[in-house]
Amino acid sequence: MKIKAKLKKGIVSVKAMAKHEMMTYDVAEKKTGDRNNANYITHISGTVNGETVLDMTTSQFLSKNPIFKFDFKGDTFKAGDELVMTWVDLKGNTETSSTDIK
Amino acid sequence: MERRQFLSLTLGALALAVVPASVRAENYRETKPTVWKAHTVEDAMQALYGSTTTIEKGVKLTAPDVASNGGAIPVDFSTDLDIKSIAVFQNVNPESAVLAISTNKYSVNDYSIKMKMKKSGTITVVAQGTDGKLYSASKTLDVALGGCEG
Repeated sequence: MKIKAKLKKGIVSVKAMAKHEMMTYDVAEKKTGDRNNANYITHISGTVNGETVLDMTTSQFLSKNPIFKFDFKGDTFKAGDELVMTWVDLKGNTETSSTDIK
Repeated sequence: MERRQFLSLTLGALALAVVPASVRAENYRETKPTVWKAHTVEDAMQALYGSTTTIEKGVKLTAPDVASNGGAIPVDFSTDLDIKSIAVFQNVNPESAVLAISTNKYSVNDYSIKMKMKKSGTITVVAQGTDGKLYSASKTLDVALGGCEG
C-alpha cells in the first residue's frame, strides 16, 4: 500500500492506494467461470500509536487498486509518528504498510 | 457424554465467533453480514441501521454529473455532524453497499474514494448521528461506460 500522511493545523490528511484486483462476483464468473473466485478488500484499518484512526469495511465496488483519502484529528499526534494501515481481503490475505506522518 | 461434547463444542464455536467482533470495534462484515448481500439501498440500510428513514441534510456528497469511467468514479463525502458511522450505497450494482466506516473521536469525516458503478444510477451516503437519527445525501449521475465488467 502506498500511503502519504501530512499533519497541518491539527489535522492529518492521508492519501492511500492499495494494490488489489478488487474482482467482483460478475467479473469472476465472466473471466473464470466461477463466482467464488471473486476477491476484494473487505476491511481497511489505520492506527497511530495503537489508536484507531480509520475503521472502514469495504465491498467489491471500490475501484481496482482503490485510492482513498481520509482525515483525522492530529492534536495528540506529531510529525514522525507512524501511521500503520492494514487491509484484509475476502480470501484472508492481508497486507500491512506504514508511513511516518510528515 | 455425547451431549456434553455437543455443549462444549457449541460453546467453543460461540466463543470463537464472538472474539473477533469484540477485538475490532466495528467490522461491519462480521457484525452486520447481511448488509453486504442486500440488493437494494433500502434493504442494506435496514440491515445496517435498522431504519430507512433519513433526514436529507448535514451530509455533503460530491460526484461528477457524468462519469466517463464507471470503474473508478471519484466520490467525495463529508459531514460536520457528530456521527457514529457513515456508509455509501448505490442502486445499480448487484449488491448495494459500497463501504461503511465506523468513526471515533479522531475522525474528521471528510473522505474521498473511487468506486464502481455498472450503469447510470444514484449514490446515497448515510451518516448515523450520535443522536440515533440517520442523515443522508444522494446524487444521481450518468455513467458512460459501466465499471463492473472489469
